[in-house]
Amino acid sequence: MTDTRGMRVPVLPPASTHSGDPAVVRVALVALAAVLVAALALCLGSGGWDWQLIVTLRAPRVAAAAGVGSLLALAGLGLQVLLRNPLADPYVLGHSTGASVGALAALLLGAQLWIGAAAGALVAGLALLWLARPALAASDDASPRLILLGAMLASVFGAIATLMLVLVPDQRLRGAIFWMVGDLSGADASLWNLAGAAVFVAWLWARGRSIDRLMLGADAAWLLGEPVRRLRLELLVFASLAVGLAVATSGSIGFVGLVVAQGWRLAGVLRTRELAVLSTLSGAALLMGADLLARLVVAPMELPVGAVMALIGAPCFIWFLARGVK
Amino acid sequence: MSPSLQSTAAGPQGAPGLAPERPSAASGQVSDAPLLETRALTVRAAGRSLVDGLAWRVHAGERWCVIGRNGAGKSLVLRALAGLSVPERSGEVLWQGRAQQAWPVGAAAAVRALMPQQAQDRFALTVERTLALSEVVALAHVRRTDELMAELDIAGLAARRADQLSGGERQRVALAQCAVQGAALMLLDEPVSFQDPAHQQIVGRWLARAAPAGERAWVASAHDPSWIGRVATHVLALFGDGRWQAGPVDEILCTPVLEQTYGCAWRSVEGAWIPA
Repeated sequence: MTDTRGMRVPVLPPASTHSGDPAVVRVALVALAAVLVAALALCLGSGGWDWQLIVTLRAPRVAAAAGVGSLLALAGLGLQVLLRNPLADPYVLGHSTGASVGALAALLLGAQLWIGAAAGALVAGLALLWLARPALAASDDASPRLILLGAMLASVFGAIATLMLVLVPDQRLRGAIFWMVGDLSGADASLWNLAGAAVFVAWLWARGRSIDRLMLGADAAWLLGEPVRRLRLELLVFASLAVGLAVATSGSIGFVGLVVAQGWRLAGVLRTRELAVLSTLSGAALLMGADLLARLVVAPMELPVGAVMALIGAPCFIWFLARGVK
Repeated sequence: MSPSLQSTAAGPQGAPGLAPERPSAASGQVSDAPLLETRALTVRAAGRSLVDGLAWRVHAGERWCVIGRNGAGKSLVLRALAGLSVPERSGEVLWQGRAQQAWPVGAAAAVRALMPQQAQDRFALTVERTLALSEVVALAHVRRTDELMAELDIAGLAARRADQLSGGERQRVALAQCAVQGAALMLLDEPVSFQDPAHQQIVGRWLARAAPAGERAWVASAHDPSWIGRVATHVLALFGDGRWQAGPVDEILCTPVLEQTYGCAWRSVEGAWIPA
C-alpha cells in the first residue's frame, strides 16, 4: 500500500557486518599518529640521542604515559556510557580523588605509593558501588543520582586529601603536590598499564553491541534483553580498576578522561567498538605528547604533565566546540 | 475479522476483580496461551489507583487500543505490562502463559517490545544504527528493515541522527524500532500522537496489518476514537479511578463508555466520533 509512494530508497544492508572503510581509515590514521608521537617522545629530550638513555629512561616513561593515557581515556568512555552523560569522567565519580587520598596515606605511613593509590581508587569505587546499588538497578533516571553521589564522594575525598596535605612532612610536600597534579617523572615502566588497557579494550569490544544498546537508554536496553544491571556493574568495576592503575602510576591527571571519548563522539564516531580502539590510541598519543612537552619546554626542569595537557588541550577543545562540529 | 472470536474481559461495568473466565474457542491452531494475560493487576501511583484488578487477555491476532484521559495511567499500565518498574503494583502479568518475572531478560525480548512515549537519546545514534541495534528476533515474517522503513515512510532518514528528526519522524522511528525487535507482542505508548493526518493513516494502515492471526498482537494507547475504530479490534478503557472496561471495539466505542472515559459528550457521525 504505502509502497506506491515511490520512496523506496536502497538502504545499506543491516549494519552488523558494516565495519566500513571510514572506521578502518580513522583507526589506521590515529594509530600512525600514536606511533609517531611515541617515536618523537623516545628521541627528543634533554640528553639528546643516546641509546642507553632511550632504553633505560625514556622508554619506560613513554610506555607509562601511553598506558596511563589509554586507561584514562577508556575509563572516561566507560563512565560516560555508564552515566549516560557525556560529561562524566574519572574525576566526577571520586575515583581519582579516592586514589589521591590512598596515595597520601601511603606517603604518610611510608608505604608504597602505588599500593595506596590502587587501594584508594578501589575503595572509592566500592563506596560508589555500594551507595549506588538502588540507582544501578533502576531505570534511566538513575544517572543524575549516580553523578551526584560521585560528586559528593569526590568532595569528601578531596577534603580528606587537603587535610592530609597539612600532615605531610615538609620534605615530602613537594612530591605529594606534584603527584596530586599528575606527574610522570617518577613513573616506572610497569607494563601493567598497557596490559590493563588492552584487557579493557578487549572487554569493550566483546560487549560492544550491548554497550551500544545501553546508549539507547537503560530501559530500552533492558527491553532488548540486555542484563543492564550486570553490564553497569562491569562498567563501573572496569573503570575503577583503570583509574586506580593510572593514578597509581602517575597521580591524578585530568582532562584525558573527559575529552578523548567525548571528542570522538562529537566527531561522529558512535560505535562502542570503534570508540574503544580510537580512545585508547588517542589517549596514549595525547599523554605521550603532553609529557614530551612537559619535559622539553623549560628543558632541564620538568612541568607537571597534567597541567601542561589541560593548558593546551582545553583551549583546543573549546575551539573544536566553537567551530560547531556536531 | 469477527471480533466475537475473542472473549472479552469486561467485568459488568468494569467492576474490578471479576475475572472473565470465558476462554476463547481457539481459532485455528493458535498456541493456547494468550500472548498477554493479567490477573488482578492493580497499578497505583501517588496514592491513586489507576487500574484496579485488571483481568484481561490479549491473544495473537488482536489489536488493542487503550483509551483514557490524560493522567489516567495508560503509560504506567503499559510499562507494567512490559515488565518495567512502576511506583506501585500488585497482581500478575503473564506473557504466553508464563509469569513475566519468570522470563529471563534475553528471552523476554522475543516476547514483548515496548515503544515508550519519549525516547532517551542523549547519545544520539543514526536511525539505521538504532534499528540495527534493536533487532532481536530475525524477522521471519518477511519484513526486512528497509521494507519496514519504507512502509512507515522513514526510508530517507537512515543516515540521520535521532536528534535531527522531527517529533513525528522520531515517533515513526520508535515504532520501527519496536517492530524490528520482532517480539510477538508490541506495547505502543501513543504511536500516533505526533503524526499529521496523512501519517496517522500510514501508521494506522501499517498497524492494521501488524497483528496477523496466530502470530502477533499489539496494544497501543491512543486518543482519537475515529482512528481507533479503523485500526483496532479491541479497546481497553481506563476510567482513571481504577475502573476499567475491555472488549471488542464496537462494544467499547459507544457513547456511554466514551463519556465515562473522557467526561464529555460524544456523537457519532458516519463512523467518526466527535466530542461535543
